[in-house]
Amino acid sequence: MRNTRDTKSLFELSKPGRRATLLPKCDVPARPLGSLLPASVLADLPPQLPELSEPAVVRHFVNLSTQNMSVDTHFYPLGSCTMKHNPKRNERAAAMPGFGDVHPYAPEAAIQGLLELLYDMQQYLSEISGLPACSLHPAAGAHGELAALLVAAAYFRDRGEKRTKVLAPDSAHGTNPASAAMAGFDTVTVKTLKTGAVDLDDFRAKLDDNIAVFMITNPNTVGIFEPSMKIIADEVHARGGLIYLDGANMNAILGVARPGDFGADMQHYNPHKTFSGPHGGGGPGAGPICVTEALAPYLPMPIVRKSSSGQFSLDFSMPKSIGHLRAFFGNTGVLVRAYTYIRAHGPDGLRRVSEHAVLNANYLLSKIKHFLPVPQGERCMHEFVASGADLKATKGVSAMDLAKRLLDYGFHAPTVYFPLTVKEAIMIEPTESESKETLDAFAEVLFRITEEDPELLHEAPHSTPISRPNEVQAAREPVLSWKS
Amino acid sequence: MWGTPDGHATNQVLTFVASPAKSPPKTHIPPPKSASMPYLYNTPEDVAEMLTAIGAKSIDELFEMVPEDLRFKRPLNLPAAQGEMELEGTLRAMAARSTGVGTKVCFLGGGAYDHFIPAVIDTVAGRSEFYTSYTPYQPEVSQGNLQAMFEFQSLMTRITGLDVSNSSLYDGGSAAAEGVLMALHGSSRDGRVVVAESVHPEYRSAIATYLANLGVEIVTVPTPGGVVDVKQLAAEITPQTACVVLQQPNFFGCLEDADAICQAAHDAGALVVAAFDPISTGILKRPGDYGADIAIAEGQNLGSPLAYGGPYLGIIACRESLVRRMPGRIVGRTTDRRGKPCYTLTLQTREQHIRREKATSNVCSNQALFALRATVYLSLLGPQGLRDTAELCLQKSRYLADELAATDRFELAFDAPTFKEFVVRDREGKVDELIAHGLTAGMLIGVPLGNWYPDLADCLLIAVTEKRTRAELDALVKCLTAKPARTREKPLAATR
Repeated sequence: MRNTRDTKSLFELSKPGRRATLLPKCDVPARPLGSLLPASVLADLPPQLPELSEPAVVRHFVNLSTQNMSVDTHFYPLGSCTMKHNPKRNERAAAMPGFGDVHPYAPEAAIQGLLELLYDMQQYLSEISGLPACSLHPAAGAHGELAALLVAAAYFRDRGEKRTKVLAPDSAHGTNPASAAMAGFDTVTVKTLKTGAVDLDDFRAKLDDNIAVFMITNPNTVGIFEPSMKIIADEVHARGGLIYLDGANMNAILGVARPGDFGADMQHYNPHKTFSGPHGGGGPGAGPICVTEALAPYLPMPIVRKSSSGQFSLDFSMPKSIGHLRAFFGNTGVLVRAYTYIRAHGPDGLRRVSEHAVLNANYLLSKIKHFLPVPQGERCMHEFVASGADLKATKGVSAMDLAKRLLDYGFHAPTVYFPLTVKEAIMIEPTESESKETLDAFAEVLFRITEEDPELLHEAPHSTPISRPNEVQAAREPVLSWKS
Repeated sequence: MWGTPDGHATNQVLTFVASPAKSPPKTHIPPPKSASMPYLYNTPEDVAEMLTAIGAKSIDELFEMVPEDLRFKRPLNLPAAQGEMELEGTLRAMAARSTGVGTKVCFLGGGAYDHFIPAVIDTVAGRSEFYTSYTPYQPEVSQGNLQAMFEFQSLMTRITGLDVSNSSLYDGGSAAAEGVLMALHGSSRDGRVVVAESVHPEYRSAIATYLANLGVEIVTVPTPGGVVDVKQLAAEITPQTACVVLQQPNFFGCLEDADAICQAAHDAGALVVAAFDPISTGILKRPGDYGADIAIAEGQNLGSPLAYGGPYLGIIACRESLVRRMPGRIVGRTTDRRGKPCYTLTLQTREQHIRREKATSNVCSNQALFALRATVYLSLLGPQGLRDTAELCLQKSRYLADELAATDRFELAFDAPTFKEFVVRDREGKVDELIAHGLTAGMLIGVPLGNWYPDLADCLLIAVTEKRTRAELDALVKCLTAKPARTREKPLAATR
């Protein structure tokens, strides 16, 4: 039951003199601050934080939480984000003493069990990708992309080659060109066809000896397996370039096809997607990368190694490594969850995950295509992109209207307006951890919405705490913190 | 969960064929022998109905768009599936061969600290609606996340003394690199970055990695005395220098003359990127107070577990004039179509999903759940709690520093005043031996510095948080000054 009294801002709930924390008395001889520190470094007052009691803090945040949709409470078919069930055993594993409470500079001798888990994880990810070397260091998918592109840059520099061009399809995630720019490359966009496949003519027109990396998402963002994958990989390799596989859509191909086998030289994983780590309201994720032997010397540090006597250690002596992209080892808590997920499935189970992710997506496609066209065709992998363009033309109802109205019916909206290559794009990824009943209900509601009065849809949602924030005002006159 | 207790009956039919098959299912995977399908709903009947609706004969047929020659032809070489109970046993056995701060007294710091984590934080962050949701693309069903992020941003402006915060980055190290990129993009001076050697070595490595291909010169100003020599630093600031990077308190725990460094940078037209310790703001000046233009920090110490390096919390805040260069998600307060106050993601034209290669950063996922933890932490502490925590860290660490310095074996490596950690030199130069000895005695005694600073190979970085008791501090002194035992010592009883 919603309570809006306690969701007032923390700063409105504050009252001088309240506090929720009592620190112990100082048990060493306390000295005046002025005798310990120069006056020039001391603040006059502590920061103006709100003053609250513990029950006020609990009630405030618990009531805020009830204003969110989440995977544990709702169907959340957000395309490209793989909003699958977040197993509770993963949470318990990550919190175990010996995993969750280990300091990043703990002596290696004290943490052999954790290092073994991380070593195994490197091996598992390499096996699943077909790429033999792995770094668990990056903190998110986009961070993994950046890491891999920096690895590529270091590789070419080491070979005395100056290559500046990164190719990426127009359907790529925005992070691809953004990562390429951060790594110092120029991105050239390759067109895709209406089916979602790379336009080979355009690809060949833009491929030259200046190619460093072709960044490809496969299965791609419209949910098809790239039909020209082999041709693209062969022709890029023939020019001395590398293939980067954006692993956002690995949920479709676990045990079915391996990036290293279909031409990739590097890939990242999104363990928070594919391997069920929760998404945390926006993060954390992790972004481990796997690469070929030729690229292994350039991986970020550290890597976990196993000695012949079975001891695990961190390898910091990699003279060609690109270095750190963050402090410390990596997002270990996310990796422990992903490890738990992989161990809960085994080889057959992981393949079943992909089979059912693809089955669920195709089933939903088969229902939805009758009232919302799916330009890519009759079949998909783990997700598909419907187009609301006809509906927009005939009734003036936009993809955003459909998305907002779905919220009234208790479904999270699909991703809309991405990829940019499909007009009024509605990108739906049901994942394997949903029932046929849920998919049936979702398809039926979506159909019903397309039949509703357009006026009702333009003003949707109607049942949520708020409806359609004024985003123009938010950006034009930004209010980005509480001013009391 | 469904199916028979061991999963046999259900698993065998998962490569289901729509009509009763005369030949075996078309798959190269043998029928699984153990439970492996804990998170699926589809029964054989469901699968049959779904395949009929799709117009496919088998699940295999759905994969026909994967070219035959690119398919993986054998089972993955991974351990067989384990059910929840068995797997928990496997994991606990591994965890038992790893020791954390729950069983050892922790004096390790260097950017990650064993501060106390109030129970309320786990309760709030354990709410499904927070931890199983995602980026608030649909603000109508994400007001909880959005308001919490707005409150986080508000708290960050208050602990940095700066105008604007984003809603989080990955960690302190990547935030340092993003802060430097921000300074480079926000200025026409893009040739050089001046970094103090007293900045966390892994932050410096991250900055170097991010800038590797951007044609920017990184100059590291040595700090042999433990703090920056302001004149020496000022001499390195050229007209092409975009920013100066400092850390306060610095990696050695020492306090820099931050006012003078900022003054020198600004006099020469460069911006200042300052790494700071959020806890220290309970008693120390904030980055905005001493003149930093961009503040970055590791926010792990605001209520997040150590977790062997992550996930943590990257904090970044800046002056108003730099807001359009800010990386990552930012939440703004506005009104909805009915005029009701509400929150939404804003200034998105900076971001990768709109601007692609022209974005301020490639950041997409961030650390929202850990920003939430920090928000709850600071709400619980309030100004007095933060002050008390900071003062306990200061008093206890200085007590320990003095006690160690009073022994024959140790001396403080630097003269500069310190906040909650400090560097001691072992006159016998046997740092590794001490660490091993400490471990036997149930203590994580400190971080060795030799790998980063060869001149400090005989030194340890020791951190003291508010959690450490006088008994633990005294026990550390005793442990470090005891004659190393020839036989294996009996571990001290756990003090907590």
